[in-house]
Amino acid sequence: MSQHPLVEMINIEKHFGGIRAVDGVSLNVYPGEVVGVLGHNGAGKSCLMRILSGAMLPSGGEIRVNGAPVRFAEPNDARAHGIETIYQTLALANHLDAPSNLFLGRELKTRFGNLDDARMLREARTVLARLNPNFKNLRDPVSSLSGGQRQVIAIARAIYFDTKVLIMDEPTAALGPSETAMVADLIRKLQADGIGIFLVSHDMHDVFELCDRIVVMNKGRVVGAHPIGEVTKDDVLSLIVKGALPDDWTARNLEAAQ
Amino acid sequence: MSDASNTWQAGGERRVLIAREQLHRASALLTLLLLILGFSLASPAFFSVNNGLTILLQTSVIGLLGIGLTMVIITGGIDLSVGSVVALSGVVSAMAVKAGLPVVPAMCTGVLAGAACGAFNGFIITRLRIPPFVATLGMMLIARGVALQLTGATPISQLGAGFGRLGNGALFRVVEMQPNGFPRVIFPGIPYPAILLLIVAIAATYLLRRRQIGRHIYATGSNEEAARLSGVNVDWTKMYAYTMSGALAGLAGNVLMSRLVTAQPSEGVMYELDAIAAAVIGGASLSGGVGTISGTMIGAFIIGILRNGLNMSGVSAFIQQIVIGFVVIGAVWIDQVRNRR
Ligand SMILES: Nc1ncnc2c1ncn2[C@@H]1O[C@H](COP(=O)(O)OP(=O)(O)OP(=O)(O)O)[C@@H](O)[C@H]1O
Ligand SMILES: [Mg+2]
Repeated sequence: MSQHPLVEMINIEKHFGGIRAVDGVSLNVYPGEVVGVLGHNGAGKSCLMRILSGAMLPSGGEIRVNGAPVRFAEPNDARAHGIETIYQTLALANHLDAPSNLFLGRELKTRFGNLDDARMLREARTVLARLNPNFKNLRDPVSSLSGGQRQVIAIARAIYFDTKVLIMDEPTAALGPSETAMVADLIRKLQADGIGIFLVSHDMHDVFELCDRIVVMNKGRVVGAHPIGEVTKDDVLSLIVKGALPDDWTARNLEAAQ
Repeated sequence: MSDASNTWQAGGERRVLIAREQLHRASALLTLLLLILGFSLASPAFFSVNNGLTILLQTSVIGLLGIGLTMVIITGGIDLSVGSVVALSGVVSAMAVKAGLPVVPAMCTGVLAGAACGAFNGFIITRLRIPPFVATLGMMLIARGVALQLTGATPISQLGAGFGRLGNGALFRVVEMQPNGFPRVIFPGIPYPAILLLIVAIAATYLLRRRQIGRHIYATGSNEEAARLSGVNVDWTKMYAYTMSGALAGLAGNVLMSRLVTAQPSEGVMYELDAIAAAVIGGASLSGGVGTISGTMIGAFIIGILRNGLNMSGVSAFIQQIVIGFVVIGAVWIDQVRNRR
């Protein structure tokens, strides 16, 4: 991983009145890397991710894509740079069906500029089947789908297009074990394709399974950034809860080498 | 057409959902048929070609307004200004005629004036972040005030036969000259306003179902934040809906004033409520994301037939208000019950 990072966030700030939701955070991701973003509830993870996806304007700081500074005023700006997001809230229009949601804002059209619903349905069927082979009721409004099915649509939407950086804000929160495993497979596949992934998760098992590196946030600040091999689950928990490593900490991989 | 085949592929669960979705429209349609049946029994003059055409004519104004309101309501908004915009755009058209413009460009000016009112609504709502209810309430007063101010509150009449053609003309009118020299109307023809309504309804249905802007209108009303995050230009979508509503109110104003061959600055009061009622009876949800043009058309005809039938049966205008009030509440109540399951 000698190239420069796909995206860098430098000294990002986000204030809500007096609250510093994100306080001078720097973060980057390299091609084919999975970076775990961890922290307690309200630590500022979602805010940070929303800033990177163009859904929220930062109060300060800089974002660089392939080394060049950019400004994301709206989600389309980030998407134009290949940054796709699975939002924690999923961001689905409840009254529309799965294909309409998948292609929302990027509808496929026929030669005459009409919506090409038949093609959108076909494409949606293919990409959804990759994630959940049992997904059959594609034409139902998504409000009538299960939480897991809704999450699968949100994931499908983020990987269907030409993605370079994928932000996953708790993508498996509503998924059953087999779907979670499928998402884990998917993450590895995307990683092999050279996509950089930010994975926000509370699930230690997933984090240690999938991430190359973790960044822990506490009250809006980064309190720890480590290659995954350096830390144990207890170390990470300590970072999340206390905001600091245990007093007697030494790097796990060095420990083993001794 | 592909929709239908996919529907069947999707299996039983989907069919149940479709049934639920169509239930409201079916019940509205049933109401419509029952009304027609009831009034026909009550008054033999009701069920006649002539009265049918009268109803078409009377409903076309509310229908046009209802189409614009349906778009706005689907985005999760409301437009209370359409009744006043009807008056203002009719007045603008009449003044343009008086200023020497030929009828067609003059009427286009009126429609543009309506569109401008709608665009102003959209601007206030999207830029100043004023809730639609308040913004369009303001426009309701502004447009009415401008119409009254421009005319000094007196109607503009003597607009010429050309101005009356849109509202009073008809297609396929068959007139026979009798031996005594008087014409006899064999078939009164299909009124132009009804044809206009049909064209606009088809165009609006196409827009909502087959075009991107239509999809975005539904998405915006369904979940505005999700639409924004998905890259939908929510503000532009709302601008579009309000401008359309204004333009259609302008069109309706021209139809109405043309029918009277007089521009009445005090016309169209409370029309917005009939139009909203039409949309709601037709299944549009005031919380956004739901609504169809076909449903609104059924709703408009329910109101139109109710008014006409009650008139023919000699029921006073006051009682009519009461009845329509209950119908609106009833329609929304049925909808609530249906959604609660
Ligand atoms: N739109 C907003 N207005 C005001 N405060 C906000 C807003 N969004 C987030 N915050 C605040 O910013 C802080 C960080 O929130 P954020 O959603 O980023 O937390 P999180 O780390 O994603 O938590 P979780 O694990 O629960 O998802 C919280 O204290 C929250 O109250
Ligand atoms: Mg969060």
